[in-house]
Amino acid sequence: MLEAIELKKSYGSHEALKGLNLRVGAGDIYCLLGANGAGKTTTINLFLNFVTPTSGEARVNGIDANADPLQTKRYLAYIPEQVMLYGNLSGLENLEYFARLGGHDGYSADDYRGFLQRVGLQEDAAARRVKTYSKGMRQKVGVAIALAKQARALLLDEPTSGLDPKASNEFSELLLQLKGEGAAILMATHDLFRAKETGTRIGIMRSGRLVQELSTDEVSHADLERIYLEHMR
Amino acid sequence: MIITIARKEFSEIVRDGRFRWMAALMMLLLLTAMLSGWQRFSHYAAIQAAAQGSTNQQWLEQGDKNPHSAAHYGNYAFKPLRPLAFFDNGITSYAGTAVFMEAHKQNFAIARPASDSSAIARFGELNGAMILQLLLPLLIIFLGFTAFAGERESGTLRQLMSMGVSRGSLLWGKAAGIAAAVLVVVLPCLAVAAVALAATGLETAGGGIGTRIALVAAAYLAYAAAFLFLSLAVSAWAGSSRVALMVLVGFWAFTAFLMPKTAAEVSRLAVPSPAFGSFMADMKAHQQRGIDGVSPRVRLAEYRDELFRQYGVARIADLPVYWTAMSMQKLEELDHPVFEQHYNSVREQYAAQLRLQDRLGLLAPLLPLRSISMALSGTDLIEHNKFMADTEVFRRNMVVKMNSYLSKAAANLNAVNDATNYMIANEEVFAIVPPFRYEPPALGMVIASQAGNFARLAGWLVAAIVLALVAVRRMSLERN
Repeated sequence: MLEAIELKKSYGSHEALKGLNLRVGAGDIYCLLGANGAGKTTTINLFLNFVTPTSGEARVNGIDANADPLQTKRYLAYIPEQVMLYGNLSGLENLEYFARLGGHDGYSADDYRGFLQRVGLQEDAAARRVKTYSKGMRQKVGVAIALAKQARALLLDEPTSGLDPKASNEFSELLLQLKGEGAAILMATHDLFRAKETGTRIGIMRSGRLVQELSTDEVSHADLERIYLEHMR
Repeated sequence: MIITIARKEFSEIVRDGRFRWMAALMMLLLLTAMLSGWQRFSHYAAIQAAAQGSTNQQWLEQGDKNPHSAAHYGNYAFKPLRPLAFFDNGITSYAGTAVFMEAHKQNFAIARPASDSSAIARFGELNGAMILQLLLPLLIIFLGFTAFAGERESGTLRQLMSMGVSRGSLLWGKAAGIAAAVLVVVLPCLAVAAVALAATGLETAGGGIGTRIALVAAAYLAYAAAFLFLSLAVSAWAGSSRVALMVLVGFWAFTAFLMPKTAAEVSRLAVPSPAFGSFMADMKAHQQRGIDGVSPRVRLAEYRDELFRQYGVARIADLPVYWTAMSMQKLEELDHPVFEQHYNSVREQYAAQLRLQDRLGLLAPLLPLRSISMALSGTDLIEHNKFMADTEVFRRNMVVKMNSYLSKAAANLNAVNDATNYMIANEEVFAIVPPFRYEPPALGMVIASQAGNFARLAGWLVAAIVLALVAVRRMSLERN
C-alpha cells in the first residue's frame, strides 16, 4: 500500500533521506524509530507530497505521490503530533469539513456522531468548539477524520507523544482496530514500548538511512531496546 | 469542494468577535454616509430648484428697463445634481455650483461648499463612495491576511492539504467565503441607499440611471475583488501573517492616501494651470488687445462702415437699425473667440492633468475607480464642463436676444441723444429669453471617457487573480 523506492531528499547540501526502501502492506503497522533528524518526518512528508523528492518514488497504492498527489491523498490519512483543527468550529463541524474535503459528502449527522463515538469523544464535547479541547480530544478527532475518510493508509507522526497513558492506550486500541480493517499504517514514534505492543514491523532509521528492519513478534522489548541503542551509538 | 471551503470560511469569520465589531462599525459608517449623502442631496436639490425658480422670476420681474441693461442685470444658473451625487459628490464641493451669466463677461462657477467649510472638510465629506473606496479594502484586508499565513501558523494548512484539496479550489473557496462575509455587511447598506434613491424620485434621473448604477456597481466590485485576491496572494506568499498584514496595510495606505495626493501634485507639476487672478487678467488684456491684435475700437469702426454700405447710408442717424445695440452685440461677438481661446486652454490643461492622473492608475487601483465613480455619478469634470458650456450658450442667447430686440425696436432713436432712456422694455420682452435649462452630457460619452479607467481596473483585477494563483501554487506549508 505504501512503498518507498530509492527515495532521496536533499535540502541544499544536507541529505535528509539517502535512498530509502520500505513497504507497508494492508494490515501492517510499521513503526519508524530513530532520533530527531533521522528522516522519519521527511519520509511522511514525501508520502504526502508536502515536499518533492530529490529522486526516487513514494508510492501510495502503486501511484507515485509526486506524479498525482491529489489522487494519492485520497487513500491517505495524516495524523501529526498535534492534530490541528479550527478552534472556532466544533469537533463535529471540523470532522464534517475535513470529511467533505476528503471527498465524502454523503454522511449524515448521525454518521459523524458515530465516528466521534467510535473514537471515544464524549457526546457533549462533540458540539463544543475545538479551542476548548485537550490534546487527547484533538487526536481523537484526528482519528475520526481518518475513519470518515475511509483511508487505506495512515501516516502518523508521533501521534501519541504528550498523551497521558490512558489516552495513549486508547489511541493504540484504535490503531489496532484500523489494522484489523485492513489499513496500512506508517507511524513515526519515539515510544519503543508502544512500537513493540502495537506495531507489526519496526524500522530503525539513522541519518537518513533505514539501518535495520525487524518483526515485533521476533524480538522482546528488552532486545528491541538494546538493538535500538546499539544503532544510536 | 469550493462551496464546502467557502461555507467553512464564512462561518469561521462570522463567529469571530473581531469581525462582528468591524462589521457593526462598517455598517454604521456606511449607513450614516449614505443617509447623510442622501440628506445633503435632497437639501441641495430643493435649494437648487428654489433658487433657479426665483432667479428665473427675478429676471422677468427685474423692472422695466432698457433691454441691454437687462442683459447686464443678468441671470444665474444653478447646477442641478444627478441622483447618484448622493453617493459620490466628486468635485461638486470644489468646482462651484452657480454661474452668474451677464453681458460681456464669461464667469467661473461660484458657490463652492468647500470654501465655506472649516479645515476638517479637507478630509472630504462623508459619502458612500468614500467609505467604499477607503474602508472597504481595509475590511477585506483584515478578513484576508490570515487566510493562508494564519493556517500555516496554526498548522491547519498541513491538515487541510493532507485531505487532497487542490490549491486552486482552496483559493477560490476562501475568496468566496470572505466575499460572502463582506457582502453580508455591505449589501444591507446598499439596499437602504437604493430605497432612499427611489424615494427621491427617479423620474428626475433622466435616462440611463439603471446603466449608471450597474456600471458603478461593477467598478466597485472589481475594485473590492482586486483587494480580496491581493490579500490572498500576500497571505499565501508572506512568511507570517504579521508580515502579510504589514504589506497589505502598507499597500492600502499607498493607494488610498499617498497616490491620490501624489497623482494630483505630479499632474499639476507636469501640466501647470494658471492661477485664477492671472487667468482673468490675461483674458481681460487679450479682450482689450483684440483676438488678432486689432483693437475692438478699430473693428467697430469697420463694422459701422460695413453697415453703411449694406444699407446704403452715410450717417448713423440714417441707419434702419439701432447702432448702439448693434455695436454692443458686435463687441460681445469680438469677445467670444477670446473667451473660447482662454477657457479652452485652461480646460485642456485640466483634461491633460486628468489624463496623466488616469495613467497613474496603473500604480493604484483607487485612481481609476474614483474617476469611474465620479463620472457615472455625474460629479466629475466632464459634467461640470458641460454645465459651464450650457451656461455660456444661455448667456450668448440672452445677450443676442436683448441686443437684437433693441436694435430693431429702437431703430428710430439713432439720432436721439441719451436714447437708452427712451427704449424701455418690460416683462413681455424679457420673456423672449427662455429660462436656463441644463442638458447633461450623453451617457454614451461619459462611458466612453472612462474606457481607459475600466481597462485599468480590469487589469488590476486580473493581475491580482494571477498573483494569487501563482502565490498559492508556490505556497510553502511550513513556517520558516
